[in-house]
Amino acid sequence: MAVGDRAIIGQYWPEDSLVHAMDPRAKFLLSLVLMAAVFCAATPVALAVAALFIVGFYGAARIPLLQAVGALGPLIILVLVTALLNVLFVQGGQVYFEWGIICISEKGIQSAVFIGCRLFLLLLGMSLLTLTTTTLDITAAFERLLAPTARLGVPAHELGMILGIALRFLPQFMTELGVIYRAQVSRGARFDANPFKGGMRMLTALMVPLFASAFRHAETLSAAMEARCYHGGDGRTRLDPLRLTWRDGAGTAAVLVMLATVIAANFIPV
Amino acid sequence: MRLAFEQVSYSYAGAASRKKKAGKKEKRQADWGNAPGEVWALRNVSLTVEPGEFLGVAGHTGSGKSTLIQHMNGLVHPTEGRVTADGADLVDKDVAVSVRQRVGLVFQYPENQLFANTVYDDVAYGPRNMKLPEDEVDRRVREALLLVGLDADEIGERSPFDLSGGQQRRVAFAGVLAMEPEVLVLDEPVAGLDPLSRADFLALIASFHASGMTVVMVSHSMEDLAALADRILVLSEGRVFALGTPAEVFADAAALKAVGLAAPAPQTFASALREAGFPLPRALYDEATLAADIAAALGCGDGAASAPDGGGGRG
Repeated sequence: MAVGDRAIIGQYWPEDSLVHAMDPRAKFLLSLVLMAAVFCAATPVALAVAALFIVGFYGAARIPLLQAVGALGPLIILVLVTALLNVLFVQGGQVYFEWGIICISEKGIQSAVFIGCRLFLLLLGMSLLTLTTTTLDITAAFERLLAPTARLGVPAHELGMILGIALRFLPQFMTELGVIYRAQVSRGARFDANPFKGGMRMLTALMVPLFASAFRHAETLSAAMEARCYHGGDGRTRLDPLRLTWRDGAGTAAVLVMLATVIAANFIPV
Repeated sequence: MRLAFEQVSYSYAGAASRKKKAGKKEKRQADWGNAPGEVWALRNVSLTVEPGEFLGVAGHTGSGKSTLIQHMNGLVHPTEGRVTADGADLVDKDVAVSVRQRVGLVFQYPENQLFANTVYDDVAYGPRNMKLPEDEVDRRVREALLLVGLDADEIGERSPFDLSGGQQRRVAFAGVLAMEPEVLVLDEPVAGLDPLSRADFLALIASFHASGMTVVMVSHSMEDLAALADRILVLSEGRVFALGTPAEVFADAAALKAVGLAAPAPQTFASALREAGFPLPRALYDEATLAADIAAALGCGDGAASAPDGGGGRG
């Protein structure tokens, strides 16, 4: 679908950088701290400080910021809708516009801009993880971080494997859905026609072949895994064991400094 | 129906921006190399699919074959240039919809698109989308199934998912044939079939062509194309590398090899023999004609008798 030099949300952006080389476990946890830091920003100044840090992190990851923003794609709409809702529902201060139940006020605009920026930064921060970490590494980190809960009966390895396989097959299913769609259009299906009339039949024409293919893939994959003696997580080792390095220390320090600075910035009077 | 490609170029990146440019009157030539991010699947392809002909399409993986055939019923639109069916531009939505009823496109592994509860309903999907009366749908379903060697009464009420792989492909084929297309476009129709079903299918396709249908077939097998096609189009990196009769296209085996294809084995062997001094008059050889001509040449007993050792071609 996205052929060429365009990033899409959740896609890995290959690059040789400090952030890419970090341990996925560290990145996973640090991105949670990063989210917390963005949520801690309660004033515009603090939010600006958080934005500066995030821009800095993108610089360290050597990912062009414009590409990253473009990669957010449809999620930008989510930001805009949230901002719009704030405009409409937060009232107070000077009223700029009033028509029926719609009332746009000073506070509404302020909160819309603030919440919009915060959500935007949050998305940028989160996509830094997916842009710099392969899905394989993310699942490995997920599995390892869940490992302590295995004693409580949580099937950590299985959950990680399920997540990994699901992520791996998403693009595959997108491609197959595209082919099925075009095949059914070739047979006269009109998906752009009235979706309420015969819409279900259109949907079956797409979903049944897709599910059939999913089951086929599942069977092939399980046979292939068994043929290679897969028997679950016990005693399984990794080709590239996850190791913490100085980069993870530096990354942790940077994110903690960010958290502290953002909290401190809250106390700067506007 | 005559399908004409006029200077068609297709870029994955340009597909989205095409609509914006549609208003511009001037014809923009594609500038290769100006936009390094763009990936061109087709570049300045011009050709005409003549009514009644059998056009073979060959090319290395990624040469643009699948993109080319998806232009034939308006599934994708050219970034530059245009595709017309009897003069009407396929970029027009209504034209594309009506052309889809006349150009049947069979994708690779078509059995993966089966979805209905019964074989009958699956084959009837196309005709019903065409809003035909139910008795006409019934006639078409029966005829289409018969064409692919299946009996509607016997198999019609079974689930397509219970059939064998070869039968599933026949049903999927029938689903396209039931629309009674004038042009049949096939993407690797025999990929993944066993040798017997493969031969069956190729005979089936040859019989469609013999009955007057225009056939466009993408194939990796040069032998199949040499045996069936009137003309062969060879694509390389999205450009037309060669377009002509099998004899013309397969004449230069070395050039074909350069774009990742191999001429049919008998043809390669024949040109090797010819270089060694064998008098081989025909332009295109298959196993039988080549064997006959070699026998004839050896029977003559002229100076070429010592040549067979020097042949070196792939038998």
